[in-house]
Amino acid sequence: MNILEIKHCRKSFDGVQVLSDISLTVSEGQVVSIIGPSGSGKSTLLRCATLLETMDGGSLAYLGKFAVRDEGGKSVYASHAELKQARACFGLVFQNFNLFPHYTVLKNITAAPLLIQKREKAEVLQTARDLLSKMGLADREDAYPYQLSGGQQQRVSIARALAMRPKILFFDEPTSALDPELTGEILKVIRALAAEHMTMVIVTHEMAFARDVSDHVIFMDGGVIVEQGNPKDIINNPSHERTIQFLSRFN
Amino acid sequence: MKKLLSIALVMLFVLAGCACAEGFTFKMGIDAEYPPYSYLDDNGEYAGFDVEMCQKVCDILGWNLEIVPINWDTKDIQLDAEEIDCIWSGLTVYANGITEDRFTISTPYSDNSQMILTKKGTGIESFDDLAGKTVGVQMGTSAEAALTGDGEAAALGATFGTLQPYENYNIAFTDLQAGAIDAIAVDAPVANDKINKYGDDYYCLDESFASEKYGICFRKADTELCAQVEGAYMQLVEDGTYLALGEKYELDTSFLVLAAK
Amino acid sequence: MTLTGMILKMSEGLGRTCAIFFLTLLFSLPLGLVVALLRMSKNRVVQAVTKVYISILRGTPLMLQLIAVAYGPFYLFGYTLLVKQKLLAIIIAFALNYAAYFAEIYRGGIESMPVGQYEAAHVLGYSKGQTFMRIILPQVVKRILPSVTNEVITLVKDTSMAFTLAYMEMFSIGKQIANSQSSFMPFVIAGGFYYLMNSVVAFAMSRCEKALGYYR
Repeated sequence: MNILEIKHCRKSFDGVQVLSDISLTVSEGQVVSIIGPSGSGKSTLLRCATLLETMDGGSLAYLGKFAVRDEGGKSVYASHAELKQARACFGLVFQNFNLFPHYTVLKNITAAPLLIQKREKAEVLQTARDLLSKMGLADREDAYPYQLSGGQQQRVSIARALAMRPKILFFDEPTSALDPELTGEILKVIRALAAEHMTMVIVTHEMAFARDVSDHVIFMDGGVIVEQGNPKDIINNPSHERTIQFLSRFN
Repeated sequence: MKKLLSIALVMLFVLAGCACAEGFTFKMGIDAEYPPYSYLDDNGEYAGFDVEMCQKVCDILGWNLEIVPINWDTKDIQLDAEEIDCIWSGLTVYANGITEDRFTISTPYSDNSQMILTKKGTGIESFDDLAGKTVGVQMGTSAEAALTGDGEAAALGATFGTLQPYENYNIAFTDLQAGAIDAIAVDAPVANDKINKYGDDYYCLDESFASEKYGICFRKADTELCAQVEGAYMQLVEDGTYLALGEKYELDTSFLVLAAK
Repeated sequence: MTLTGMILKMSEGLGRTCAIFFLTLLFSLPLGLVVALLRMSKNRVVQAVTKVYISILRGTPLMLQLIAVAYGPFYLFGYTLLVKQKLLAIIIAFALNYAAYFAEIYRGGIESMPVGQYEAAHVLGYSKGQTFMRIILPQVVKRILPSVTNEVITLVKDTSMAFTLAYMEMFSIGKQIANSQSSFMPFVIAGGFYYLMNSVVAFAMSRCEKALGYYR
């Protein structure tokens, strides 16, 4: 089943076309990496998919249900309630973590399941503690975000997203705000999630990681998908000139 | 939050207060900073020539008296809004907007003079000596009005080096003590009050630069009220209370112009 | 009048001074938040009206506002309640005035919040109201506390403006004594009272800041 389906997505800011005719399908258990230079539109695509940005044209569906329909080339957003349903399908991990600084680690993870999903308190606490130990942070549940390193904060924010039981998890350059020695711990967590067949879309600059962890790689530039396919093919033997140019900077 | 709000509202009403005694309550508007006519005495009670006269008037008429200290700058508004029934506090009538076409005014009970208060060592002996000097005056008083207006006293005012306005005479007098100013233009009773308190270093010039009349001011429509108060007031003149209180408060009794028949 | 007599007489007005202080805070803090939200409204008209409100209340003296609230309705409509209930008029004028100042403080605090906080809450499914009350406002309160303290301290001193309406709070009584007794002592006493009250305010606010210091 297709978890996410984006068709013919268009987006422009102040007349400048940022995304033109992007289509993307993610099926259950699939790990998709999006790579490309800064300003290529990959973050905007992620923000459109997570409803943080409105698209101008094209459609967007989660689990086959439309959040955004395309009517005559124009995007039409679904009702408030339907969007809420769509939002329940995904989680997003931000580049800058965006943890709530006035909440403890535990409360950051449990607040939304309790308040928004109205789940059982005992069950939510159990879920949160399980996630924390999985992230290697079992002893930090009472800490506040400022007391944690960047890597630890990012792991908490992954736990926060997972606690909502999303069908698909988006990562927006999850290691870009971290010191190089801390990126490893995050990549390790994502690898572990991939091993559990978590459906994920990852915008990243870590080429080796993208090649190793994903089932599918998309190379974007100038608001279009230039090339996509098997990660080893794309990253080891790119066919398109712009991909070659981009990847050469990493080797 | 709701609890807090209700407590707050209760506080509002309690503090706003409501004096609900039986019978008519006569609300006397005073400037509580105007000794010896109306002020806080040593016991923290309102006292003064006007306050005591008013109390006696109310006694005669069988009224309750409520003394309401007012903001002198908004006294006419407070009278219009029925916050007070009269302005009775060494009020200069027939001047400064207190005129008969706007208010009902009682027969003046005092004809007062405007004096120059100065201190020894300034060498000021007559109006001529004031030329080029700095003279203090309280803002909004008839002394200021006379010196800056277009009457005779304005010619005197024009000879001063500076006419220094003050918010009140207390500060002006302190400046005189300190030598920051050379003289103060002030009502005779206030000047005498200061001289009595601070002794012989201070004196008034013999000449007065304007005279003024004190009366009681009522709302235009309250002619009946005014007549009642005037009637009772005259009784106090007849029985000698008027002059006795004048002496008690060390007024210049020559200003107390109401005479027994 | 003895010094003790002056202090006793002036402390009679202290209850009224405190009433002005606490009631003003009680009403102006929430009102300020409402004004701040209206000021940031997407509706241009609402925004413009609020802007005018803030600029008038911050741009004219509190003394005039007190007179306008107490006597404006009387002259315009013959409405005397605010003339007779002085405290009510004073609280309305003070609350409106302080709400304007607090509104700008709130606005500064709200606008300084990183957009990521809104986005994180949005993605987790928080409604706009939930995001504001649970995520944004608690953090804003911490950020604006120092500026609020400044205003609160100013408010303690501003209570003396109630003399404009001849409301016999502590300072007005002090002025009466000062002029009746030809003495500056009441002003010294008033200064002492204000300093004392502000020491309490400063202490309370620093406790608040400490209480909110558990995160950064």
